[in-house]
Amino acid sequence: MKKSNDSEKSKGVVVFAFNTEQVDYVKIADQTSRLIQHNLKLPVTIITDPTAETKFDYDKIIRVESSSGNIRTLHGKSMEWKNFGRYTAYELSPYNQTILLDTDYMVLDDSLLKLFASDLDYQLMHTSHNPDRVIDTAMGPVSSLFVWATVVVFKKSQYSKQFFNLVGRIQKNYGYYKNLFNANGNYRNDYAFAMANIIQNGYTPNNEYSIPWSMLTIENPIQDIEIKDNFAIVKEESRAHVIAMQDMHIMDKDFLVSDRLERLVNVLVS
Amino acid sequence: MTEITNLVEQVKRSTDYQINKRLLREKAMADMHLPFEGGMFKITPELLGFVASWPVDWIILEDIYQNPIEVDKVVFLAQASQLYNKTMSNWHREHEKIKRFRKV
Repeated sequence: MKKSNDSEKSKGVVVFAFNTEQVDYVKIADQTSRLIQHNLKLPVTIITDPTAETKFDYDKIIRVESSSGNIRTLHGKSMEWKNFGRYTAYELSPYNQTILLDTDYMVLDDSLLKLFASDLDYQLMHTSHNPDRVIDTAMGPVSSLFVWATVVVFKKSQYSKQFFNLVGRIQKNYGYYKNLFNANGNYRNDYAFAMANIIQNGYTPNNEYSIPWSMLTIENPIQDIEIKDNFAIVKEESRAHVIAMQDMHIMDKDFLVSDRLERLVNVLVS
Repeated sequence: MTEITNLVEQVKRSTDYQINKRLLREKAMADMHLPFEGGMFKITPELLGFVASWPVDWIILEDIYQNPIEVDKVVFLAQASQLYNKTMSNWHREHEKIKRFRKV
């Protein structure tokens, strides 16, 4: 595993992984980090529970107490989701330039590296599409659009620090900000990052700090993903997609915690 | 496995060429982004043609974030042309392949 040192320390990837009773996020992170290492050639730092056992050779393991979980419904199941504290990524990241990724984001190419060349202090994923359409991103019927906190790129700067502090302020006072923005539902990092971005830019919705492409999200349950002729064949229950190698956000946690993911990663990094 | 089960399995896994084609185009469009001098540009035939026709060595271009970026025409054109060619070649090659993936 490539370790960060003084000269290389400037760039790296940070993932948050806090296990719940239903999902072993650390197990997922162990696999998706192999893809990060293989395709981006960057050191990976994991931020996790004090007792979590990791298998991947992380650059750094930062252990923090997780707060209580949130509840989210996915594929008809209510699932606990420990998503608080993402704003601490700014302080906890050991890198000058950081790609902050959700554990369910599979890095299958090196496109994220382009974002390091930007002058922007932080960059957020504004758009995501599934195989059928662009995914709606309103925080509520009469609210603004959220961003996908699945991928956040930032550099250590006063402007970024202010942004992440604002995300933290929004999390801690979510009742107020939820009403201010007419947002629906429980706390989501997607919402908090969007609110902070709007506030920091003069209470103006904007695409100034956006990652300039759309993220592919597979929302449906996945039976398997096979690699054939440099394409990923994503098999859902009643159909399949043939997808040229590109990053994917996989929502199906059952697939991610299964041995199918490990087998897939073995093929991809071999 | 009976013939009908096989058939059902095949049908279930039928892949939609139009969706695959759209996903492939989305990737190609993403790959067309070129970071340059702190700005981010989406390389298009129009941009390439415009820069190539510019009469002097330095040109100020608007990037995708609506910022004016001063670039060296020759250096920019070299990188942009290379990216365009590579991306379009990949797109073409992969498009030819997905035509054959009607069933998986």
